[in-house]
Amino acid sequence: MISRWVSLLAVRAAARGALRLLRLAAGAALIIVAAPVSVVAAASVTAAWLRGWPPGRLYRAALCCLPMIAVWLAATAITASSWRAVAEAPYLAWLAMWHRGAAGSYASAAAVIAPAAIPLGLLAGGLAWSYRIRSMETGSGGLSPGSAVTFDLRQWRHQVRSARARISAPGSVPLTTPNGAVVAGAVIRAVNHQPGRIASIPYQRMRSHQVVIGTTGTGKTTLLLRLWAGFMATALRRHAAGQGRPPLLVVLDCKGGADARRIADRARRVLREAGARSTAIWPDEASLSLWALPPRQLTTTLLDLIEHGTGAAAYYADVMEAVVALAVEAPCGPPASSAEFLARLDPGWLNLAYAADGHDGDLTLVRSAARQFGDIALRFRTLFRRLGPGLDGPGGFGDADAWYCILEGTAEISVAEGQARALVDLLASYAAGHSGGGRQAREILLAVDEFSAVSRRLPIWQLYERARSLGLAVQVTSQSWQGLAADEDERYRIAASADGGIWLLRTPHPEPVTGLAGSRKLVDTTRRLLGVPVWGHQGTSRIRQAPVADPALIRSLDVGQVAYIYRGGVTFVQVKRLVGSPAALPGAVSPAAPMTGLPAADQLARGPLNGRSADGQSRKAPRRPLPDAGEFLDEAFGPEAGP
Amino acid sequence: MYGVQLDQLAAVLGVSEPRARAAAARWRARQHAESARLGPGAAWIWLTRAGLASCGLPYAPAPPALSRLAHIRAVIAVRLALESAAGYRAAGAYWRSERRLRARLGGRVGLREHLPDGEVHWPDDAPVPWAGECWAIEAELTRKTVSRTAAIMLEMLNRTGDYGCPAADVQVPSRPPRHARVLYLCSPAARPTVARARRALGGAAARIEIRPLPPGAAMEPAAGAGP
Repeated sequence: MISRWVSLLAVRAAARGALRLLRLAAGAALIIVAAPVSVVAAASVTAAWLRGWPPGRLYRAALCCLPMIAVWLAATAITASSWRAVAEAPYLAWLAMWHRGAAGSYASAAAVIAPAAIPLGLLAGGLAWSYRIRSMETGSGGLSPGSAVTFDLRQWRHQVRSARARISAPGSVPLTTPNGAVVAGAVIRAVNHQPGRIASIPYQRMRSHQVVIGTTGTGKTTLLLRLWAGFMATALRRHAAGQGRPPLLVVLDCKGGADARRIADRARRVLREAGARSTAIWPDEASLSLWALPPRQLTTTLLDLIEHGTGAAAYYADVMEAVVALAVEAPCGPPASSAEFLARLDPGWLNLAYAADGHDGDLTLVRSAARQFGDIALRFRTLFRRLGPGLDGPGGFGDADAWYCILEGTAEISVAEGQARALVDLLASYAAGHSGGGRQAREILLAVDEFSAVSRRLPIWQLYERARSLGLAVQVTSQSWQGLAADEDERYRIAASADGGIWLLRTPHPEPVTGLAGSRKLVDTTRRLLGVPVWGHQGTSRIRQAPVADPALIRSLDVGQVAYIYRGGVTFVQVKRLVGSPAALPGAVSPAAPMTGLPAADQLARGPLNGRSADGQSRKAPRRPLPDAGEFLDEAFGPEAGP
Repeated sequence: MYGVQLDQLAAVLGVSEPRARAAAARWRARQHAESARLGPGAAWIWLTRAGLASCGLPYAPAPPALSRLAHIRAVIAVRLALESAAGYRAAGAYWRSERRLRARLGGRVGLREHLPDGEVHWPDDAPVPWAGECWAIEAELTRKTVSRTAAIMLEMLNRTGDYGCPAADVQVPSRPPRHARVLYLCSPAARPTVARARRALGGAAARIEIRPLPPGAAMEPAAGAGP
């Protein structure tokens, strides 16, 4: 009985082996018979593996071959004048290929079968590559249990290599696409997004709120400069075509220091290349006028800039508000500078200003608060000294295409808080069109970097809400999730309302953001391992939820790589660095430039005004003998020939 | 620049000519550039409206004018020669092209206003003795009259305002001149005239530099145009 059972097992094993051999032989025969298709398929799969292409790219390549097939079949139909010949054409080409190959005419054989073999090979390659990826994703492929992980890591490396090669080719990654989308760089990998060669976002998303998170040295500035330049170029083009308003980019760099000034210089150069005529750097080279605010808003802003106590101190806050309102809303008009405002904080001045009939109430107020005037003036004098001349004008946001505002949030937090508050109020007022002057409306992008450091007096969610109501797009940048806002609710509120997407660079704690990208359904397959590399035929499959944006991948991103999360999908991008030309020296005042006392637009674009002539020109007067440039010219052009 | 020949494009990009051709083909495929064989030598490439917009350049798109091909090539050769000089790179000097100057004028080029072929701006903090200067660049291929050349030289030397400035600022005696010096790059044919014009200027002649055009500035002679 036992021997019969053993022999039965042996027969079954032999039959299984024979069946497997038969299958292998049939597969090998098919590959040989369809050799041209097999060669193209193998080549395409190899190329896709090496370059990290998705299968769709091979399908598209096959689709692109359709005109070739059409021409080939049409030519066959015309020469043979028969539909039957058209139907037989692939078979006849296959026969001819073998005959010519046997005759040693390999080039001719390849040419005769190419119209049929190339698209079919690409299609077969696409299917095979798709099968391979799917089997690895589900865990049902590979020789060892760790094959799927190794495959994914290797594909990531291949995709990164391809993306880097793509951005290094001259002209391959433009700043914007012909339809106005802003190009960030080359696509490394896309999940739940349409895969493409270059990563571009429609202009409309630049007009929505965005969030950028990435630690120092991960390429955040490079990404931001690219986005700003893209916004500027597209907006200018749309404006030129009559499709939109002129752009205004306002950057609040809340860190300050020398680093901020270097970035400001880079921003100015890339923005100029993008078409911006002028980039003002506040407060180093340009100033804004707080006094351009409407009187009521000016009163509120001035009061907000002063620290108030609580409890009994509320009495003094009320007195201060009354006095400031009297000084700002005097019948002769609001003050035009801090000096004028301070001069008004005087009972004598206010008594004279409100001496006319109908101001009895105001005069009573002046008299009752007379004892506080000295203290109030002292506080504002101290405030203006700390704020510096940057907010004392002249100038307004309308005077330049871009403003780079440097707030010393690291060195002088309280000053930066006040400045941030004032700048946001000024911008809001400008956007609302109430800042006077009847300026043309602009498409405004407000980019705030590490705003949470200076947002004590203006919570960032309030900035978001105000911006939304005014039609401003806000781009919030932070070094970490925690840096977005003070508390978790606020952070989620900011991230969740980023309609324009979230840019995530390498960061140690990406989970809260990747969680916003959601999850996707993946098939998880288990197999029975009989011994490497032999797998059993038994296993189970189940559907599991996997994060769309893999936090581990985010943590391992290299410099210049970013994950763009939008609508439940993520695109990993290799950012193309923008290089601006060296700064040009300033030119003269353009007749069209606004004469607000602010340096002319082109002057602002090209450098500080220190030591320059009145028209903003930095050229040295050649009163002294000209330095000898002969050696340099000899090097560049050779020596001057004799007469 | 208005356009560039393929060999000069290769020099600009620092790649071989086939790679430059491939890059140009890609730009053409994206409709960012156009190319054509406008004259003898390599094909010319110029930016289309979309290409100019992508680069953020506010210029009117147009192919290089046939009558100016030789001049455009010479100016590009001058720019390349300057930019390849170590002193230029180290100083971070900046070339402002005639096209940019013309764009600043916004179609208000006066009949009497002469535009240089380019300007070189040397930043204030450049490590060269002439830091902060602005040079006007003139490429001379053909000889003009001495008086005409001297008049152009004087105009450039006396100019105080930027191109596009109000007419009242173009020449203001109390202000420093815009161009600290004017650099003439001359073909052998044009050099004697330029030299004579410089001598005619007297004291201001010290601010005029004359040098030969760099190699490669001349266009390839047309086929059959030999002696």
